[in-house]
Amino acid sequence: MPEIEVKGQQFELNQEGFMLEPQEWDEDIAMVLAKTEEGIEELTPDHWKVIRYIRGYYLEKNVAPMVRKVCKNSGFQLKYIFELFPSGPAKGACKLAGLPKPDGCV
Amino acid sequence: MSDISLNKDELLEKIESLTAQDHEKILKTFKHYLTSEYAAFLNTCAHCGLCADSCHYYLTDKDPKSIPAYKLKLISKIFNSTFDLVGKRFPALVGAEKLSNKMIKEWVDTLFGRCSLCGRCTINCTMGINIPYLIRAARGALASVGIVPLGLQSTVNTAVNKGNNMGILKEDWLETVEWLEEELQQDVQNPEAKLPLDKPGSRVLYTINPREAMFFPLSITAAGKVFYAAQESWTFSSENFDVTNYGLYNGDDEAAGILSSRLIDTMHALDCRELILAECGHGYNSNRWEAPEWLSREYGAEVKSILQLIADYIREDRIKLDPSKNGEVVTLHDPCNLVRLGGMVEEQRFILRHCVANFVEMTPNREKNYCCGGGGGQLSMTRFAERRIQAGRLKAEQIEATGAKIVATPCHNCIDQLMELNKHYKLDIEIKTVTEIVADALIIPA
Repeated sequence: MPEIEVKGQQFELNQEGFMLEPQEWDEDIAMVLAKTEEGIEELTPDHWKVIRYIRGYYLEKNVAPMVRKVCKNSGFQLKYIFELFPSGPAKGACKLAGLPKPDGCV
Repeated sequence: MSDISLNKDELLEKIESLTAQDHEKILKTFKHYLTSEYAAFLNTCAHCGLCADSCHYYLTDKDPKSIPAYKLKLISKIFNSTFDLVGKRFPALVGAEKLSNKMIKEWVDTLFGRCSLCGRCTINCTMGINIPYLIRAARGALASVGIVPLGLQSTVNTAVNKGNNMGILKEDWLETVEWLEEELQQDVQNPEAKLPLDKPGSRVLYTINPREAMFFPLSITAAGKVFYAAQESWTFSSENFDVTNYGLYNGDDEAAGILSSRLIDTMHALDCRELILAECGHGYNSNRWEAPEWLSREYGAEVKSILQLIADYIREDRIKLDPSKNGEVVTLHDPCNLVRLGGMVEEQRFILRHCVANFVEMTPNREKNYCCGGGGGQLSMTRFAERRIQAGRLKAEQIEATGAKIVATPCHNCIDQLMELNKHYKLDIEIKTVTEIVADALIIPA
């Protein structure tokens, strides 16, 4: 199993880089995942706005929000979401927010 | 790459706990799938080895376990020890072997983990053996006792229990359609442009892959724009909009039948004339070809791909296109389920030639094309993800050789895999559906 090291602690990822134990997530982990999985050196306030919304939605409803909700809540255009997270909302934003891999064709 | 047998996990623990009764159930289910034609196929292999060089798994890992004939042998071994008289009495003579938990592990690793059911081995087989059909039957036999890799089974469960394979709630689907309708109205500068819902008597019932609504909605607006330009009479369903059918991949005919029947029943309930399938390879193969078998009934209506509809719009002059709007070099990836297994070969090419200025084929193409690596449920089986990316290497090389900047493909499953290949193999390409490319070329009358 692949792993990442965050502040001296090891965390397991699945073969696609999603966290194996989503409840272990914190913002330090998001910063490391941003580098290793998305090649983002530093997360900007706009990244955090999206990541925190997705994380909160997941904790409340146990699923990922639809991209409509992400746009509406952040006030960002769809195109800008894809600029922020080049792998897209699922394998980019949701992965950084520590969500498990969604079902379906993703 | 780790072998499944080295990993400690729930699926393996579940296999360890299988009983003799479970083994009987597996064999009974497998037998249920076998017509005499397929039973004969099990012992027809001439061991010529031509299939080896047809398989994108074997070509990228050179592991003998990836050779299609080996995969077939795993199945025929069990068949011969159970249903063949000689195999029962003298197993060594015909290479027969009794079903065991050890063998079930090997089935999972090889039949789920080293095959995307792409069918390329069959067209290269001197005997014409339908290997993917037999692998699907073996998967279905395992599914009957709950032995299916997690992400694949949960995708089937979510679809059966929640109405679509991503568990999208009705209110969220309606909110998304409303939002995309506003986007369409702005795009075509007409407040009357609609994405209709549950409109009875529409000619066309259109479906989507849930990942479009969930994460990648541009293809929905694109389809809406093409329908708008063609002045089509069409509608979405507020309940049954999911074109996918992962029952094709876990081999569970009952689940597969439930999913396909929802679309057919919705079409009749809304009194539509044509069920139009979104760009989804396995959704086309499932709903167009397999579902009448699963359901043991005829549809009584047309089931078509949106590609056929768009090609008709072009032939009938219902839409105007300007190819110079798509000036980049565009190539086309052929989804296995749509092309090799589904028979839809030329419509996408006809459309692209009318929509792009510079279209190039990749080599090989059409029914000889390589699988992207994401089919057969591979995209959902995380435990085999590393192999999936490795098996996609041939596709990455094919794309690179074309020099194209845009890859069009009429399948959302392929799109996701191509996005991953783009990142892993640093291809620097953009991946689009055919409908998105059509929408970009549209000339909308003022």
